[in-house]
Amino acid sequence: MDPLLTLHIRIINQVFELDKKTAAKPELQSLQRNVDRIKQHFEEAGYTIVNPLGEAYHETRIDYEASITGDMAPEMEIVNVIKPVVYYTTGGQKSILQKGVVIAAAK
Amino acid sequence: MSHQINFGIDLGTTNSLIGKFQNGSVEIFKNPFGQKETLPSVVAFRKDRIIVGDKARELIEKDPENVFSSFKRKMGTSESFFVPNTGDFKTPVELSALVLRELKNFIYTGEKPDAVVITIPASFDTIQSNATKKAGNDAGFREVQLLQEPIAASLAFANKQNNTAGLQGQWLVYDLGGGTFDVALVKIVDGEMRVVDHEGDNYLGGVDFDIAIIEKLVVPQLQQQGNYPDLLSQLRSARGKYNTLYHILLKKAEEVKVQLTTSTAAEIEFEIDDQDIYLTITRDDFETTIYDSIQYSVDLVKKILTRNQLTSADVMEVVMIGGSTYIPLVKTLVASQLGIPVNCSVDPTTAVAVGAAWYAGTRSVAAPQTKENKAAAGNAPDIHFKTAYQKNTADKEEYFTAIVTGPVSGLSYRIVRADGGYDSGIKPLQERISEMLLLAENSNNIFNILVFDAAHNELAVDAPAISITQGKFNIHGQPLPNDICIEIDDPENNTTKLELIFEKNAILPLRKTIIKEVMKTILRSGRDSLLINVVEGSRYAIPGSCVPLGMIEIKGSDLITDLVKGSDVEITLQISESRDLSVKAVLLMNEQEFSEIFNPLVRQINIGKLQDDIHQLKIQAASKMKRFKSSQQYELAATVQEIQSDLDSISDRLEVLSIDDVTDEKYQLEERKRKLAQQLDNTGKDQQIVEVTEQYFKQKDHCLWHIQEEKDEGRLARFEQITKEESTFLSSQSYYTIKAKTDELINLGWEIVRNKPSTWINNYHFYANIPPNDYTNPQMAARFMEIGEKALARQNYEELKAAVYQLHNLMPDDKKNNQPLKGTGIG
Repeated sequence: MDPLLTLHIRIINQVFELDKKTAAKPELQSLQRNVDRIKQHFEEAGYTIVNPLGEAYHETRIDYEASITGDMAPEMEIVNVIKPVVYYTTGGQKSILQKGVVIAAAK
Repeated sequence: MSHQINFGIDLGTTNSLIGKFQNGSVEIFKNPFGQKETLPSVVAFRKDRIIVGDKARELIEKDPENVFSSFKRKMGTSESFFVPNTGDFKTPVELSALVLRELKNFIYTGEKPDAVVITIPASFDTIQSNATKKAGNDAGFREVQLLQEPIAASLAFANKQNNTAGLQGQWLVYDLGGGTFDVALVKIVDGEMRVVDHEGDNYLGGVDFDIAIIEKLVVPQLQQQGNYPDLLSQLRSARGKYNTLYHILLKKAEEVKVQLTTSTAAEIEFEIDDQDIYLTITRDDFETTIYDSIQYSVDLVKKILTRNQLTSADVMEVVMIGGSTYIPLVKTLVASQLGIPVNCSVDPTTAVAVGAAWYAGTRSVAAPQTKENKAAAGNAPDIHFKTAYQKNTADKEEYFTAIVTGPVSGLSYRIVRADGGYDSGIKPLQERISEMLLLAENSNNIFNILVFDAAHNELAVDAPAISITQGKFNIHGQPLPNDICIEIDDPENNTTKLELIFEKNAILPLRKTIIKEVMKTILRSGRDSLLINVVEGSRYAIPGSCVPLGMIEIKGSDLITDLVKGSDVEITLQISESRDLSVKAVLLMNEQEFSEIFNPLVRQINIGKLQDDIHQLKIQAASKMKRFKSSQQYELAATVQEIQSDLDSISDRLEVLSIDDVTDEKYQLEERKRKLAQQLDNTGKDQQIVEVTEQYFKQKDHCLWHIQEEKDEGRLARFEQITKEESTFLSSQSYYTIKAKTDELINLGWEIVRNKPSTWINNYHFYANIPPNDYTNPQMAARFMEIGEKALARQNYEELKAAVYQLHNLMPDDKKNNQPLKGTGIG
């Protein structure tokens, strides 16, 4: 992969971590705007950052790799996102740059 | 006729790869879904489909009865596995064939190889080897040639070094992968590379090290920090309190392990019971933890040496392959205990596949010409799809169904999303197929239906692409009738211009945040203000001709601190489905927020802004008047004169209108102003378009000449990008569009010439020829001319450039006498 894209992915993962923390902790709320702004800059540059937290788990969805915790059940959801899904659009073509890393569990 | 095989496959216990030899090098193909080179050798049987690879691996622990991995260990045995979901038995050969078929999908070149080299462990006997061959045949490869993995790795390293001398004597191939360990002694016997002896352990690899990080390092440290009773079993048990955390830790431990290959310490960060935990894992700790396992692998190597009565001096080197050989301890322990040089020159993950492909590049097979093959290659079955699905949806998944006509028996299909986010898995093709397709949000989702024969060769059937638009172009949504723009300052031209926020036809609701710079200092005690003016109209029009939607005025008296020029203002615009516009501005310097919701029924008019608009229009009118008169276009001049007189009359009315006037007059005046602005904009527009088009072509030639002279490929690509839709924008009849393109070319041209000494020499001569007394400060000008002369003599172009800038700054400012732009204060 292009070293610049690799660098961007690393930064996106860190921003994602920051985003998780600011969302969970009201005392960090003042950072949220800056976090949103960094995310927006990446989106303007062609990156689509997807956080599948809370979405239903599908085995046909291949933009994330899931670890399943607890027992399998017909209805499962994403309970934790370790790395977000990142798509990159260039020349009108959208493709996956980073598969998400998620934890799924029964609803 | 014969042809080279070229394709090589590493059919691994844990992961498999496929590569191709071409033009003297090997390319390892990537999974089209996710771009990984490795495919986990895992097969999952769901109720109605087969899944191979990463998604199958997800289900290993949770549905072990229907998900199969490590079946390579059972190759050549009579063992078969019952699959409850399908109600039948699968043999290791059938499972391996599914993995091999999946690898065929990695070949993006469209080739359909009929022959392949597949690697096997050195330990495989004849029955196991034949079983691998059968798996290859079942996967659709007519010809399968086998190659031992240590030989493949040796080929990869020998070809990498391009040094056949390295192939003399004997060497060891140490292969420590994700889940298995193998070591082989390889030797040249009668001019042929052979595996002389081997050892291994099927349950030793990287995954064990990840688990060791958790159990031997993380858990003890955690227990020191807090009270977590029965922590380890609560982590490991499927119903344990911390089982989710265990899965998180497994991923994090893998990352730590990778980091420790290059750093001496790594941090692991996670949450337990709502508490943030940061632990430092040092390389020393990690190495102590895994030391015994690595020592055990070295002992197996020593066993081979003893058995073959070899000393370290008899072995030339140890070739390291397998992802776990990245761990520094592995290299150092192997080197120090064996006393044999360690060779890490090949990519340990792909070495076997690379070697297999190298070997395939030297092997040839007779080309098939049987009737069957001809039929498979030339005649795709006459299969047609009649599809039904909703083309636009707000849902995140959409039901798809199709009636399939033609000979479907024995065929299979899969549906994949073009961006790689969805894969239905392999399903039997029937007369009626259906699928719940998962959609990427706010975009057009394209799905392709792929049809395969029994050997998993993709067939060239006429399957339609499925196109479903999610969210963005929802048919229930309302499109914007015009561009929505924000007015910003254009100091270069002493006026204001529009910046596009939402494009015409974008679907409501919309939201966007932009960052703009404050263009003037606004003092709390002063009378200046910052205007955020949102207007509706073409982005290429002049601001005054657009319909104002809403404006926030931030006055000095509203501020908690003075606002400094150059600081940022973050503006968020949001338009709801019911067309309410909300504008929020945050002054980042002092974190002060201003927000307002504008209902389209309530038009906001700011009299001060209206006066400024009229002033700007008067300047533009005067400039046009001057131009028309000098070009003797008297009819146009007369029209402008009428506009000028109307502008004067609005000015007069505004003079007497109080700021808090409650009548409708300000709305009427604003409406009149807008019409006059449009009229002024249109007057002489044809002539303007001719002029700007001429300027465009002139800049285009100029720019291209410089690019060609510099042979600048990067800028040539940008040049082509700018001029790509030339015929469209030149025929748009929009002055501003053509002007914008011309400006882009000017900027591109300037990027090239500003690096050329001749640019600064010419510029310098221009300023040096101006008499010092014509500068605002003649003494300073003379001083900079002196500096310039010296720089010129010394050919110091950086200094010359500085002198030119200084002289330029000392030029009298033509705009000085103009009334300063009140503008918006943002730009």
